[in-house]
Amino acid sequence: MIIDVHAHWGPWFFTMDVAGANLATMDRYGIDLAIVSATEAVIYDAAAGNRALAQALTAGGPADRLYGYVTVNPRRPADAERDLREYLPTGRFVGVKIHTDYTASPVTSPQMRDALAMVASFGVPALVHTWDASVLDLAALCQDIPGLRVIAGHMGAGGHRHAIEAARGCDRLYLEPCWSHFPAGRIAEVAAGVDPHRLLFGTDATLIDPAAAFGAVAAARLDSRTAELVAWRNAAALFGLPLPNRPAS
Amino acid sequence: MFDAHALVGDLAVTLDVDVLVGAYPDRDGPVGTPSSVLGVLREHDIRAGAVASLRAALFDVVSGNDEVLALAATRPRPDVVPVGVVDLRDPVGAARELERLAAASVRAVRLFPDEQGVEAGFPSVRHVARRAAALGLTVLTGGDVRRFWRPFSGLEATVVFLDTHFYHLGDFLVAAVDEPGFHTSTRLLNSPDALELAAAEVGAGRLLYGSRTPFYEPLVPLLRLATSGLKPEEVAAVAGGNARRLLT
Repeated sequence: MIIDVHAHWGPWFFTMDVAGANLATMDRYGIDLAIVSATEAVIYDAAAGNRALAQALTAGGPADRLYGYVTVNPRRPADAERDLREYLPTGRFVGVKIHTDYTASPVTSPQMRDALAMVASFGVPALVHTWDASVLDLAALCQDIPGLRVIAGHMGAGGHRHAIEAARGCDRLYLEPCWSHFPAGRIAEVAAGVDPHRLLFGTDATLIDPAAAFGAVAAARLDSRTAELVAWRNAAALFGLPLPNRPAS
Repeated sequence: MFDAHALVGDLAVTLDVDVLVGAYPDRDGPVGTPSSVLGVLREHDIRAGAVASLRAALFDVVSGNDEVLALAATRPRPDVVPVGVVDLRDPVGAARELERLAAASVRAVRLFPDEQGVEAGFPSVRHVARRAAALGLTVLTGGDVRRFWRPFSGLEATVVFLDTHFYHLGDFLVAAVDEPGFHTSTRLLNSPDALELAAAEVGAGRLLYGSRTPFYEPLVPLLRLATSGLKPEEVAAVAGGNARRLLT
């Protein structure tokens, strides 16, 4: 069983054609479930993207292997609150995605603080894009907002040592490793420095092929208990996911 | 769980285009000794590497290149293909070193513009590109392909761009259409369709497996190639056939 907590649904603006590639990409690596955000929602129009994703996720069939993030643009709080009220009760959306760069809302910005306080009030985890030392800012903010559970997307990318410090500083902060770069030893170093219950698996598919995260995690040679926690147990607990009745990977 | 080797199967890399020995003084590791680097390659069934020296890239070209030439000469199996290095901060000396490398039958030279703080528009890059092309040397270059394609254009140069990120694949492809000698490492072509798209647009003959051992995980591009939609003969070409054509 593998759960990908950082995935996307929809087209990208780069030279690539992957809008329909979610399930095939997952199947190549034995990924059973993925939690996706709509690329349109992340990059351009949160409300329109959330709406399109909601339609796709409620269509049934193979899409049942996908769960959704409601994407929140911290600069559009009214839209965000409306979308959270509409989509979370469907059961097909299990968390919130916030991208700091596309919305020009750094973790230290007032609108990010307000947005994450809103997310906390809805009781779902938030996946927040982090890069370099911003993961420390996220840990500090998480400490300030009661009940908030956050996933540091990319676990700071090249700032993974900051991510170790961040995870040690806030017990409601989780780390997710995806990055298109894969420096030797990065995952092993984080796994050695962080409570294994705070480690998740994410790929950034369909932007990045799961080979990057899967290969980097495989190279870390985690012990079997930690590997299982990373692969799915931590994610299932964090998101309260009903596990599918299908053979383990 | 996370059984990458089951996915890689029996895929072997016959020549990895991107291998370094030596260490970066501003990083904690790895140490990059030849024995440790070759050990990592063996562990991943990478049977040979195109090896360049960080000593040459960062400090002293001649002694660094001589270390790699000596390493290649002493290997009982031909698992080290020596790659020369020149310093773009010294274009006059670089031209001399290119001549020396060519006389020593070295087939390729590697450029480190990022490490050396050299931009694509600097005269030294065009100068080295011209001299390398005239000597028939294959150039392995770091740097952003969107900028570093230009100093090599119009020279009938054979170039492998080592840092092509899938974000910039489109730029590589449109440049490569006009430049039959342009190739790219697959190291960062890790979107779900980059390899397949590149093979369809310019042919798998332009793609070379590169790992950047020991600084990156060689398993990642190996896994991407093994799970790709390329035909078996294309996979074999990317896994070393193309590199052997250019470097040996």
